[in-house]
Amino acid sequence: MTLLSVRDLRVTFGTADGDVHAVKGVSFDVSPGETVAIVGESGSGKSVTANSLLRLNFGADVRTSGQVLLEGRDILAMSDEEVRHVRGREVAMIFQDPLTALNPFYSVGRQIGEAYAVHHPEASKKELREIALDSLHKVGIPEPGKRIDQHPHEFSGGMRQRIVIAIALVNSPKILIADEPTTALDVTVQAQILELIAAMQAEHGSAVILITHDLGVVAEITERVMVMYAGRVVESAAVADAFVTPTHPYTRGLLKSVKSLDSVRHERLESIPGIPPSLINLPSGCPFHPRCAHADSLAGRCSTEVPELRRVGPGSSACHLPDERLLNLLGGAHER
Amino acid sequence: MKVRSKVLAIVALVGLVAGACGGSGDGVQSGEESGGLSATLDGVKDGGTLYVLTSAEGASTLDPQRVYTGAELGAWGSTFARTLTSYKPVAGKDGTSLVADMATDLGTASDDLTTWSFTLRDGITWEDGSEVTCADVAYGVSRTFGSEVTAFDGPQYAVSYLDIPAGDYDTDSAYPGPWLATEEEQALFDEAVSCDGKTITFNLKVPVADFNFTVSLLAFAPVPEAQDTADQYGLKPFSNGPFKVETYEEGKELVLVRNENWNAESDEVRAPKVDKIVWQFGLDETVIDERMLADSGDDKNAIVYGGILPVNLQTVFGDESLKDRRTDGFDGFVTYTMLNIKTVSCLEVRQAIWLALDREALRTAAGGPFTGEFAQSFVAPLLTTDYAPAKLLDGTKGDGTPNTKAAIAKMNEAKEKCPEVYAKATEDGLRFDHPDTDTWKKYMAIWIDTLGAAGIKINDNPIEQSKYYATINGDQGDLMSAGWAADWANASTVLPELFGKGGGFNYHNNEEDPAFAEFQTKAEEAKMETDRAAQAKLWKELNQYVIDQVWSIPGSASKAQNIVGSNVRGAYQWLPFGWYNLGDLGLAG
Amino acid sequence: MIFFVLRRSFFAIVLLLIVSAFTFVIFSALPSDPAALTCGKNCRPEVIESNRERLGYDRPLVEQYGAYMKGIFAGRTYGEEGSSIHCSAPSLGYSYDRHECVTTLIASTLPVTASIALGAFVLWMVIGVGLGTLAALKRGRWQDRVATAFSVIGVSLPTFFLGLIFIMVFVIWTGLLPFPRYTGLTENPVEWFMSLLLPWFVLAIISAATYVRMTRNGILEVMNEEFVRLGIAKGLPRRRLIVTYVLRAALVPIVTIAGLDFAFLLGGALVTESIFNLPGLGKLTLAAVINSDLPILVATTMVSAVFIVVANTVVDILYGYLDPRVRVK
Repeated sequence: MTLLSVRDLRVTFGTADGDVHAVKGVSFDVSPGETVAIVGESGSGKSVTANSLLRLNFGADVRTSGQVLLEGRDILAMSDEEVRHVRGREVAMIFQDPLTALNPFYSVGRQIGEAYAVHHPEASKKELREIALDSLHKVGIPEPGKRIDQHPHEFSGGMRQRIVIAIALVNSPKILIADEPTTALDVTVQAQILELIAAMQAEHGSAVILITHDLGVVAEITERVMVMYAGRVVESAAVADAFVTPTHPYTRGLLKSVKSLDSVRHERLESIPGIPPSLINLPSGCPFHPRCAHADSLAGRCSTEVPELRRVGPGSSACHLPDERLLNLLGGAHER
Repeated sequence: MKVRSKVLAIVALVGLVAGACGGSGDGVQSGEESGGLSATLDGVKDGGTLYVLTSAEGASTLDPQRVYTGAELGAWGSTFARTLTSYKPVAGKDGTSLVADMATDLGTASDDLTTWSFTLRDGITWEDGSEVTCADVAYGVSRTFGSEVTAFDGPQYAVSYLDIPAGDYDTDSAYPGPWLATEEEQALFDEAVSCDGKTITFNLKVPVADFNFTVSLLAFAPVPEAQDTADQYGLKPFSNGPFKVETYEEGKELVLVRNENWNAESDEVRAPKVDKIVWQFGLDETVIDERMLADSGDDKNAIVYGGILPVNLQTVFGDESLKDRRTDGFDGFVTYTMLNIKTVSCLEVRQAIWLALDREALRTAAGGPFTGEFAQSFVAPLLTTDYAPAKLLDGTKGDGTPNTKAAIAKMNEAKEKCPEVYAKATEDGLRFDHPDTDTWKKYMAIWIDTLGAAGIKINDNPIEQSKYYATINGDQGDLMSAGWAADWANASTVLPELFGKGGGFNYHNNEEDPAFAEFQTKAEEAKMETDRAAQAKLWKELNQYVIDQVWSIPGSASKAQNIVGSNVRGAYQWLPFGWYNLGDLGLAG
Repeated sequence: MIFFVLRRSFFAIVLLLIVSAFTFVIFSALPSDPAALTCGKNCRPEVIESNRERLGYDRPLVEQYGAYMKGIFAGRTYGEEGSSIHCSAPSLGYSYDRHECVTTLIASTLPVTASIALGAFVLWMVIGVGLGTLAALKRGRWQDRVATAFSVIGVSLPTFFLGLIFIMVFVIWTGLLPFPRYTGLTENPVEWFMSLLLPWFVLAIISAATYVRMTRNGILEVMNEEFVRLGIAKGLPRRRLIVTYVLRAALVPIVTIAGLDFAFLLGGALVTESIFNLPGLGKLTLAAVINSDLPILVATTMVSAVFIVVANTVVDILYGYLDPRVRVK
């Protein structure tokens, strides 16, 4: 049974310089309790995709089309009020930077309680405080009784992210979207936060959609991975397959960069030549072809025709290369 | 010398808003207008509230011994401060005739004119119902001597006339006023001003033929000693007239209400009609004019203190429907330029200065014909008895424009007759003292230009405005600006004061002029003349004499324009004060 | 926190002492001579000199300042025995031009200015923050354009011009309102309200303009903050989000500026008071300038300084309460 089904999601931002096609026809499914990762460089459309799930893309001119079906209900077609009831209750979100994600004017206890109260107006003040205390305790804040009345600026970055997680999970949502939850944190804290997410997921039974550029993070906690490039999914596979047998040349490049650079914090993948394309003036054909070592071998097809995502081996891949060559690529990867 | 109201001195904060610009070509001209219907009593009813709109922040003072502004002398005198004598409350020339007020008659003088006595009527009461006594009058008069309080604000006739020895106090008198006087000092005053029952006697050190005019000044008004609050008396003066001060707050308002204890039977001068007079202070001048033109609501019952803005004169005098609400007339002031006869001792140079001067340009700079007419006398036209236009110097032009050619000719004569003064005027230059104001900057440019055309050099010497008169009192320039209005309807308060020996405002240093002796003798004669018609003739001759000597150059007899609300009645110009008879104003409808 | 308040108050008092001394020195250095003003037109230079001595203007400045400060705490007697005037503490001097103790004058004008300031302040905060919020929430729509146009016009309109237009339109041409004539709140609340309506609006419109812009920009800035997105992601209703998240954050800097603006206004709304003929501190000061009435000028300057220093201190302390990040532990 599918919990969330995204169908042909397209998001365009109108800007003074022209339309930015951030997401160009993304489709995927998420099952209950499943952990899915969306991986890509900055500008790949992964965060926009994640935000679309809760209609959190803001701006003067945002155009969204397609469907985001939560248990069959299209979030994109809902009224504002209906979406509001989904937010925080059925689908919750963790943001990238815990330093700015918390409201500086209110105590953390109040902010956790508020997240619960929005969807449980019947809850008493006392109840809310109990819940906040319990949440703080669960996400591993020491001395929650004392710290519940403190303000965000009195906490470290890691602690604040725990509080953000506590807020997200206070309503036991069906889906937890974590947008780069560890990027802004110290390396030592990163693992703790990921562990916490995994543990909380186990407790609440939520599905997790993890948005990251960090393949190390992906390997640690997810089951399935989607690789995005220039607003499209270029590869989708089980984590085990993707890491062992990547099919798309871009995925292969990504993996190589992790292995060779050992620098998980670099957003730019230096083992892939060139830079990610401008979303306003995308290259014709396959958007990756200017950076792809195999583009010349297909007699110009890569620069004219956009490759569709198709089943290749155990996963899917969007590349014009024939299946056998895609499957063989990994052989090449292993050679070195 | 009466002082101009503060209102005229205050620079308008706001000077915009649509003024009707007729242009000078087809502009409305100034001319005598007496107020039409508003000057009559047609349809007047008793009661109502009269409003006085003004841009002034307050009255210059309500303290009778400190008042010296023409309009205020009339306004307070007609409402809350009665005097021994006052003026007939009618329009026109008759308004300058003296009538008995608190006194039973116009006073009795000794043959040598050094003793004057007045007897109080029966039944004159203060606002608390108590009787106005002779002692109250004497006490009031004594306050002028207390310069540490009254600060030379009011006229100083009590000091210069009363027979009290000279002394070291600031007033040069041996009597320091009621507040500081020792018993002996007080005795000096009590000898000069004595009471016998209801009769008050003034002993003077000089003969004064018109002392009964002098006592019409509020400086001679009574003040009950028990009510005196020294410097603060002007905040709530005690009334013996038909109105009393209910509240007075500078910057806000002065409310005069009817004094229930005023005894109408004791008063033949005042005929109050309204219940209440409210002065609204600190209004924007533009707003005042707009309100008066709109004439709606309470503004129908309003008059203005301070005149009409120059930009609105065309509108007011170009609209015939306002004929019954507007006035245009002399305000009693004459402006002039004093010459220092000690340093400019040469008559020809003085004549040249007059001939070269562009009075027309000066008047235009001041605001044009509405501001006044070219003066032909130092006596204002309002002093109808004593006024006669003098025959001006040969060569001066009626339209005020300069006669440079004649001026150069005079200078050439001067070169022969008095080479020293000629050299001073053409080479060193003549020092011109004047108050340091923006308007004077404009005037000086004209002076320097037009006299320069005749070869006369002018050195500009601006003096800080508040110190101006005190400064020229100590150190006179070659030319000095000034203005004057009579203290009462007699040229005795003009010509001897401006040009005579010991005159209160004579900065001409003209006693060394060979022509002085003749003037002084004739002036003494005129002062002592008790036949009013004969006296007037002498004043007219003296004025001609002064004009011929060019001790001063007359500037303009200044005019004022005003407008009243459509319900206001009795708004005639009361000549001695150059304003309405405030206490007698009534409302129709 | 108590320590913080005490320390701030101490500095405020020191600052006021410095300001008072400075004011005293500055005004004494002005070319206008207070002694010359005590004497009428017939005055002679010797009289001015003797008045100078009598009023103490010939003493060293330090001595004059000392007497002045002493007067504030102990009261002071002016003039000579027999005709002297006593001004009880706190005495800020005696005006020989107005014949009143300066403290009395301030006490009668301050309520007027306070009435103007308070009403205008409330109005301009409502208009400014209201329109600014509307503009931000309806960014790019006609409401935004109207609010922006309002703020451009408001900023560029001179107060006296707007005041005159108001008088012309509402009083003279249409007669909708009577000409403002100040009445004390305790005397007649209705007349008090009516007399202040126009000045409130004039001041509010002029001042609100800045607040429209500040609020609009502040809100738009805060709306981009991550914590606001988290609030949306929590499912907070829009209205609650705007009030408790966006406005709460956007108003902190505005409150600071508003506090100072209010204090400044308490020092006298000079032009507004003049146009509408309201006998407040501003008019008192203006008249004192015209008449070179030094005692009043020194006092009104000091009173204004007190308001600004006090407001500064209050705003500082308030800021600690409003923004937990700067709160002193």
